[in-house]
Amino acid sequence: MTPESEPIQSGPEAPEAPAGAYIYDLKAAPNRQVELPKTVPLPGLQAYLADQKAALEADEAKWQKQLADYEAKLQALPEGKEAPKPPVRAAAKKDDYDMKTPVPSAPQDADMLRLVELLGERMEEAFEQAGELTCQVAKEHLLEALRICREDKQLKYEMLADEAATHYPAAEGFAFSVVYHLTSLSRHKRLRLRILIPEGFEPESACAVYRNADWLEREIFDMDGIRFAHHPDMVRILCPDDWEAHPLRKEYPVVGWGQRDIDFREDRSGRLARIAQEKAGNMGINLKVPKAE
Amino acid sequence: MNYEPTALEHILITTRVEKVINWSRATSVWPMTFGLACCAIEMMAAGASRFDFDRFGAGIFRATPRQSDLMIVAGTVTYKMAPIIKQLYDQMPEPKWVIAMGSCATAGGPFDSYHTIQGVDKIVPVDVYIVGCPPRPEALLHGFMKLQDKIMSSSLADRYKEIFEAVG
Repeated sequence: MTPESEPIQSGPEAPEAPAGAYIYDLKAAPNRQVELPKTVPLPGLQAYLADQKAALEADEAKWQKQLADYEAKLQALPEGKEAPKPPVRAAAKKDDYDMKTPVPSAPQDADMLRLVELLGERMEEAFEQAGELTCQVAKEHLLEALRICREDKQLKYEMLADEAATHYPAAEGFAFSVVYHLTSLSRHKRLRLRILIPEGFEPESACAVYRNADWLEREIFDMDGIRFAHHPDMVRILCPDDWEAHPLRKEYPVVGWGQRDIDFREDRSGRLARIAQEKAGNMGINLKVPKAE
Repeated sequence: MNYEPTALEHILITTRVEKVINWSRATSVWPMTFGLACCAIEMMAAGASRFDFDRFGAGIFRATPRQSDLMIVAGTVTYKMAPIIKQLYDQMPEPKWVIAMGSCATAGGPFDSYHTIQGVDKIVPVDVYIVGCPPRPEALLHGFMKLQDKIMSSSLADRYKEIFEAVG
């Protein structure tokens, strides 16, 4: 942890997030209120199967209710009247549309089977969807999984093409997914590793295996606030150093907390100067302008 | 009776000092080499031979704020860039002018977002706003000619009054 990436508390007028001095007035602009998502659109085989099962059960319950309604109607029928038609169960819709959403399926690919064999218990879920390979790894064993992917003779995923995180506030048991997109240049294949982490968990940095994870992880920290353990330089990369909060979290309003409305013709309420002085103080430099008594 | 200029009047003109100073300022406005986004491409096109900004005396793009008179804010102004723009403006010597080029620099443009300053006039005083996304080089030339009009109609007394009242 570096001192400059922590929220600065020492200044007397340091705004406390989110109830700062210049918090954006969301009541005055109700269309800018944050609406947290209620679903967890995380692709996965288990989730897909659970959805299918729930849909089947709902369909069955609906049919049973139709039958019961019909029985009740028959009982209440007055004498001499013709009985209504019995209900017909609707057949499952035939979907012949070309652009069907690809559904996840159990792993078939040789790479996936190899990875399942090597990782064993450390693998939480493995599936294929639209020809893309995805493995969900236990969050504590991520580094081992990456090392296996890179160094195993049959896998040889030499390149970390991208690393990204997503916030799922509605999920139970985890808050973020971190996804590692691996590419094998020698074998022309791609593989995706995924971990699910709760709030505050510090996943192991991938820098030990893939050196280019350095800036990707800094961006994830900047945007989502996930810290990576044993990262060489865990500071912001896109937002300025004095930025507050992490913009890609779902509870963050698109218009921000009002930083953009500061009148820059003045200083940012002395905040930049104070940060500079604190940094200088850590390095033993005196930046303060001496004042005459 | 026809007015016959004397021999002296053939070689002399009479004018006011203020007008001469304004004329010289308006016809030699040196902009700063400073682009932020796609508007800067149009600004470069305006400086190149097809549109030739230099016809108006504004073709000498200086690479330092200390030698420039005009800051053309060409592009989206982010929160991270804002203090840098402020510093560059402060480093420019008086007299200095600012053109906000395009909708981003004017009012944030399409970026109604946390990282974009909604108009560069939150950072520096702006003389001329140019609409467009991005504006054509002709629009920049038109905006620049408006700035020249503004300079020509400015008064030294007003300017010094402004400064000294600000200082107090």
